Amino acid sequence: MIKRVSVLLLLLAVGAIFATLLAGYEADPELNLTARYYADRTAADIGAANIVTAIVVTYRGLDTLGEVTVLFLSAAILGLVLAQGRKREQARRERVPAGELLTTGTRILAPLIMLLGVHVFVNGHLTPGGGFQGGAIVASGVLLLLLADPVKHFAHGLIAAVESLAGIFYVAIGLLGLLLAGGFLDNRFLPTGELGALFSAGAIPLIYSLIGLKVGAEFSAILADLSDTEEL
Amino acid sequence: MVNALFIIAAALAAAFLLGLLKEQWRGAAYAVTLVALGFMTWISADWAWAFAMNGAAPVDIFTAGTEPPFAINLRMGRPEAVLTLIVNLTGLLSALAMKDALLALGRRAMAVLLVATMAFCGIILTRDIFNLFVFFELAAISTAGLILLSDDDRALSAGFKYLIVSQVISVFLLIGIIFAYHATGTLNIDGMADAAQALLPGGMQAFALAFFLMFMALVAELKPFPANGWALDIYESAHPAYSAIFSAAAGTASLYAVDKLLLIGGAAWLPAATGIGIVTFVGANLLALPQTKDRRLLGYSSVAQIGLILAVLGQRDVLGDLTSFIALGLLVAHSVAKAGLYWLSGLIAGRELTAWAALRGHPLMVFAFATFLCLLVGLPPFPGFYAKWELARVLAAEGRLALLAAILFGALVEAGYLFRWFGHAIKRDKPAEEISCAPFSVAAVCIAVVAGWALGLLWGEMAGFLFGRSNLLLALPLLFALAFLLLDFLPAWLKNTLAIAGLAGFFALTWTEYDPLRLIFAIIFTLGGAIVLLASFSAHGRRIGFYPAAMLMYAGMVMLIRATDTFDFFAAWELLTVGSYFLILRGKHSEPHALSYLVFSLGGAFLILMGFALAAGSGVSPRLTFDIASLSQLAQPVAPWVFLLLAIGFMTKTAAIGLHIWLPGAHAEAETDVSPMVSGILLKAGLYGLFVLLMSMGKQQLYGVELTTLMLWIGALTALLGNLMAIFQEDAKRLLAYSSIGQMGYALFGLALMNHLGWLMALMFVINHYIYKSMLFLAVGGVAKRTGTRAMYQMGGLITLMPLSFIAVLIGIIAMSGVPPLSGFGGRWIFYNAILDTDQRLPMIILFFSGPIAFLYLFRLIHTIFLGQLKDEHRKLKEAPFWVVVPQMIYVVLLLAFAVVPGIALRRVDEYMNQFFPEGGLDWSGLLITSNYGYWNPVAIMIIVGCIFMTLFGWLLFVNRRAQKVKQFNIVFAAERPYRPETTHFAWNFFAPYRKALGFLVQPFATRFWDAVTGSLHAAADFTRRFYTGNGQTYAIQLVGFVVVVFLLARGI
Amino acid sequence: MIAYLAMATGFLLILIGFYGALTNRNLLRMIVAFTIADSGVNLVIVAVGYMRGRTAPILDATVPAADAAARIIDPVPQALVLTAIVIGVGVTALMLAYAYRLYEKKRSLDIAKFMDLKW
Repeated sequence: MIKRVSVLLLLLAVGAIFATLLAGYEADPELNLTARYYADRTAADIGAANIVTAIVVTYRGLDTLGEVTVLFLSAAILGLVLAQGRKREQARRERVPAGELLTTGTRILAPLIMLLGVHVFVNGHLTPGGGFQGGAIVASGVLLLLLADPVKHFAHGLIAAVESLAGIFYVAIGLLGLLLAGGFLDNRFLPTGELGALFSAGAIPLIYSLIGLKVGAEFSAILADLSDTEEL
Repeated sequence: MVNALFIIAAALAAAFLLGLLKEQWRGAAYAVTLVALGFMTWISADWAWAFAMNGAAPVDIFTAGTEPPFAINLRMGRPEAVLTLIVNLTGLLSALAMKDALLALGRRAMAVLLVATMAFCGIILTRDIFNLFVFFELAAISTAGLILLSDDDRALSAGFKYLIVSQVISVFLLIGIIFAYHATGTLNIDGMADAAQALLPGGMQAFALAFFLMFMALVAELKPFPANGWALDIYESAHPAYSAIFSAAAGTASLYAVDKLLLIGGAAWLPAATGIGIVTFVGANLLALPQTKDRRLLGYSSVAQIGLILAVLGQRDVLGDLTSFIALGLLVAHSVAKAGLYWLSGLIAGRELTAWAALRGHPLMVFAFATFLCLLVGLPPFPGFYAKWELARVLAAEGRLALLAAILFGALVEAGYLFRWFGHAIKRDKPAEEISCAPFSVAAVCIAVVAGWALGLLWGEMAGFLFGRSNLLLALPLLFALAFLLLDFLPAWLKNTLAIAGLAGFFALTWTEYDPLRLIFAIIFTLGGAIVLLASFSAHGRRIGFYPAAMLMYAGMVMLIRATDTFDFFAAWELLTVGSYFLILRGKHSEPHALSYLVFSLGGAFLILMGFALAAGSGVSPRLTFDIASLSQLAQPVAPWVFLLLAIGFMTKTAAIGLHIWLPGAHAEAETDVSPMVSGILLKAGLYGLFVLLMSMGKQQLYGVELTTLMLWIGALTALLGNLMAIFQEDAKRLLAYSSIGQMGYALFGLALMNHLGWLMALMFVINHYIYKSMLFLAVGGVAKRTGTRAMYQMGGLITLMPLSFIAVLIGIIAMSGVPPLSGFGGRWIFYNAILDTDQRLPMIILFFSGPIAFLYLFRLIHTIFLGQLKDEHRKLKEAPFWVVVPQMIYVVLLLAFAVVPGIALRRVDEYMNQFFPEGGLDWSGLLITSNYGYWNPVAIMIIVGCIFMTLFGWLLFVNRRAQKVKQFNIVFAAERPYRPETTHFAWNFFAPYRKALGFLVQPFATRFWDAVTGSLHAAADFTRRFYTGNGQTYAIQLVGFVVVVFLLARGI
Repeated sequence: MIAYLAMATGFLLILIGFYGALTNRNLLRMIVAFTIADSGVNLVIVAVGYMRGRTAPILDATVPAADAAARIIDPVPQALVLTAIVIGVGVTALMLAYAYRLYEKKRSLDIAKFMDLKW
């Protein structure tokens, strides 16, 4: 009780801080310096129709590399955490196989879902969406597979290979930007092409595809690892 | 130089590459990890070298081919190079130290380690606030992952607690960032700083709140007290090699992040940083006091050190350009020491502090331990010392004395618990389990040791370049002392010969450079030291650790008298303190006494530091260097305070009453040949300090009180009570130790008389006390060595078995009691003349009383040890070892010589003192010494007393020629065996009647007072630390509470 | 107005999330509470970038590059929120894994059961 009251009091104070922030907030009438630069220059400099993508993949590409690494870390640590406990539980209980409906549905849906995912990340520089969204969709396809066939041992090796290769290429492309163009993750060592075309915006589609693959693989790895914890 | 981006790229590429390797190829994965970390380290080192040596300009690294603030940029400048070097090196060496754990967990763990190291580098390199957030999240997640390397299964819950807290932190950070972005229109740190300057008052308010949230989020990463329970749990349970990273690398990175953030916040936020920092420093150090677990203790100490550096960053407004010198000095010292200690703890099986006794028998590891502790405490010649000095200097000059006092108090507490731990390692029972000798881990520890010393050298160079200070590590005496570390494999006799030759040689080289007063101290410190060292020939084997410690003390002492500016003086003071601490700690039962010696000495040293800092800040001389001689130019109101601080500091060393409780144990429990060193020689360092102080500052008044009068009283009381306590001792060495307190009281009194003869008398005491106390300690030590006890009632009748020791003691007590014909009388004579010059009657009377009291205890030395009945078990005793007797005989000769011709030593000093007190000098014509009140003819006295003695002795022989020899009785009381046999011995509780009458004076008031101080600190700490309940949720609540409290405080201000 | 509303909702979600995380002793509930707080943060971030009467920052036929500056909302918070979401997901997954292992160890999800390390 005392705890709840003190937490409430503390949160009241935090709420007061937030309220002050809220009261002091005024929407900008015009784009600020940074945003204006992006609005004006993205098309010419980067060649990506989706300005957010240009920011995510190029201008703030280092953030995104870090972000991908966060998922990579999570997947790796998750594997570590769960692997520690798993060794002694080699003898698993038999699992109930999934029903006919789910299995058949999965056969139809999974490829479509994955295809959609690929579409989303390949077109990331043109339309809303991108590597993360596409990757998450791909992983949801994997989730469906896991649900449909829980007994099947999942191809951890393949997932790991995709993840690693995508990561290595991502870093390599970043370095190509450093060596051939203006800086790390500069997309302009490939031609920027025509605004709005699929093959435009330099290396962005490439990078976003790699991100999509990598994110998809990482989420899949996390899901596969978590699916092994069902025994508890 | 390679683009710093490759640090990030290499780490990530290697981490991803590890995923391609098969799970079984662990060796290959480990190799990839090491290569990547090595490459990252090399990049940083290359840059650091370029900045240091070639004066390269900082480089901004643009990403995405776009200039900031529109794309993320990194910066590689001087601080970034050094800090990433710390991070990468810690990562690399930790990878070595946790080789087994990494190989056991496989490639994924290695990938996490690589990413962690990269993330810390990223935090340092990036100039973008949101990018900073991303790197912080990477660091947090990898921390949670690497905790799993530990074989302590509590680590899992520590990891979860950390994740909870990092969630709270990231919420605050993100909200702060987005509103700061909204207010300034940029995410670039430098851009934000510029934009914040230009904000209108309205926008400023909203921005300040956003900044507050960002600031608190980053400060929370520094584990501020008290919102840091989660961090302590990590420190305790993680793999030690990871704790090394968490302490050294994560601390470094977070500090630099806060430093960058303070660029945005500007001067308004500096007090907040200082406040949080100093509360953390003092609080964490206090709470560390009751810790018994090594890694948790190190955790508290890490938290404290980071807090101190945060406080330093908050003092940027007054430190200016010095900030980086000081902060970096503290930071590198902390990083190297903490990482080294954590790696070392990985070698030790037990987790209790006492388990570190396993280090014993591994001199290299003990040396590493000592090095790390000295680094942490900021002792010379390590970087922390230079940093501490400059920090104190500036803070005092700016009048921020409360902050300075808090810092020094915290540092003292820290030194206390760290060296208590060292005492455990040296003195406690060795645990059954040996230390592990995993070569990679040992290599990591050794590299840290080398790095520590190299940094000492480097900081010395920088201090020389920036402030014209001398590089302590290049001082010849110190180098000579350190050389014994390398020579420690040699047999003791060889090292002893070298040490004696070194001391004598140093004197021969330098004796022309001293004025008469310093010459006397120089003789005692070098030649006197050499004579005492003769006794050390009696030791066998290698005596590992003795010579480095002893020579360190001697080095400190000669550097002390050669010092002309306050920096050198203070450095020498700390050196001799540490050296003597290690020396005293060697005694069999000296663990608690050595600790109390060190704590008192460091406490005194910190007062001296404050005094010097105050003096330097007063502006009477150029601010960077302050000569000791310039003390004389100080004026009101600073001067009396400087005097007070310095005087108390020096009086701690001379064990003035109230500050004396460390002395008896330290001197009595030390080894036979160490007691004379620390008593006969070391105490003179304190007197030298007082001489220097009074010579340059003279009389000072504070609130109308004449401070020298106060010293006069302290001196008189010290003499009286020291002597009084001495008479009640049963332990011969303790008796001598208490008598030293009394003797120092005399010397203090003489100095405080502030007249010519008073000073001459003090100097006489310097010489006499050195000779007879060294001699008596050796004699009694020799007897104790033979009899196996120091309790006097267990001895008796040793006169025939140990005649030479008897002669030494006899001569010694004649000299000491001040009766003719020996030199003690000369001291008395000068003293009587001196007090006739003064009008302080009451303390004079007290001092008179203490004279006869000295007889009481001196008499016991002869009477109880050498006369009376011989104990049955002592019948076959031999004379003390040859080499213990040799110096005693030299002292006998010296005493006699000094008694006959005191002029050789005193005459020139007498003339020298004319410049301070032209009046009241002595007249030295021929053999006659004349004062205003009378004359003294030492030769005549010697002849007369000699004649009287011979006559009486002859008569005694004559009347006793037919004396009958009686066999010894076996005394039994009433046929009963006494419950406590010593109570039946006549020499036990010998002065019981006096105790009845005067015992109230020797109640251990001072001991009780200091016990109460330390006891209440401990109790308070033990109570307070209970709010670290171990509940992760509570920790999160504490963090939110911390943010709210700081918010309210900041609003209030 | 809508920005204020979204922002207020976001802040409220943060407070609700914090309250849940700081008072529920069940590990899973704490994790869920934190995801609520994360959503609140994301909402606030997006709300800060919102500008009245403007459209999404994607250049196409309706938003030509030439007058993009007058037509689109601030793209930066949108980019930031993407990062924030992904990081939130990563941390949540990690916390779940930890909770799983903690449960495995003590067969309890009560955070008060994991107080071996203290003082």
